[in-house]
Amino acid sequence: MNIDPFLVWLESTSLSQWVVGSPSLLAFPGILTLHAIGMGFAVGISAVLDFRILGIAPGVPLSEIRRFLPILWLGFWVNAVSGVLLLIGYPTKALTNPVFYLKLTLIGVAMALLVRISRMAFDEPAAARADIDPARLRKMQRLAVVSLVCWAGAITAGRLLAYTYSRLTAAG
Amino acid sequence: MHDFQVWLVKTILEKSPVIDFMHTAWAWPIAESLHFLGLCLLIGAIGSFDLRLLGVGKRIPIAAMHRFIPWGLLGFAINISSGSMFLLTEPDQYIFNPSFHLKVIFIMIAGVNASMFYLTSYRRVFLSPATLEAPTRAKVIAAISLSAWLVVIVCGRLLTFFRPAQCEGEQTALLLTCVPW
Repeated sequence: MNIDPFLVWLESTSLSQWVVGSPSLLAFPGILTLHAIGMGFAVGISAVLDFRILGIAPGVPLSEIRRFLPILWLGFWVNAVSGVLLLIGYPTKALTNPVFYLKLTLIGVAMALLVRISRMAFDEPAAARADIDPARLRKMQRLAVVSLVCWAGAITAGRLLAYTYSRLTAAG
Repeated sequence: MHDFQVWLVKTILEKSPVIDFMHTAWAWPIAESLHFLGLCLLIGAIGSFDLRLLGVGKRIPIAAMHRFIPWGLLGFAINISSGSMFLLTEPDQYIFNPSFHLKVIFIMIAGVNASMFYLTSYRRVFLSPATLEAPTRAKVIAAISLSAWLVVIVCGRLLTFFRPAQCEGEQTALLLTCVPW
């Protein structure tokens, strides 16, 4: 399937040209900055939850970490929106690079794990809670390790996007 | 200060042990990836502790939450190391960059602010293992900490948009913000 006509059209839109071409610090530089801050809170808090499940800070009641989840989700949505804006700015650069799909897949797996871990840690009745039942705790710990690996992979893939693209725009 | 900056850049370029390594194909991108991983550890651990002092997760004992801090310090160590690799490879791009100047200032503010916490509030917060409400002073320190680290991220991300151009004529500001050669 040839998506070049779509890429040419997207790059001709005024939103795409604003993201890429505006001299304002709020355009491309500002969007990149929001993407870094959102990452810090989304990945950082997810990692804190994973660390707690793996036994760090045992005095922190696992169920209470849920209070930090709204900030994690805020970071995630900031990055979804800023990421879409960056994609609208440089659609060819991302969509023709396999590393971009690797990054999205790793984020998808990490977020699915977060939802799964959240359910196990926060939503089940106290008697079945994973921090009480050793078999369920071990299962949750395996998920936490995979979560950390996925985030590290997603960050690395994201950084490598700047070095691995083959076409910057549909024209060139 | 101008002379000092010029001396610093020249000395680094002459004596830096990492330039050849950082110019290999993947060294720079990998160091950047580590820099972002360190950022997440730092914001995750230190940012969450700051948020806890500010009242998020009120039922978590503050002393228990503090056990995450070493991971934030690990993130900071990773970032000082990877950041030094950049600085020791392209010193002029940082030493003459106003965004880098501001970034270093805010890292120092965050550092002084954190030591204020340990000097003024640590004992009160940790005296009883079950302390749930941080004193006002600790909350102010937490708010400054979060803000300072956010400014550090902003300055770091904007570095590349303030790359110093070649100087035209005499610079009068305290710090040189262009490349004098």
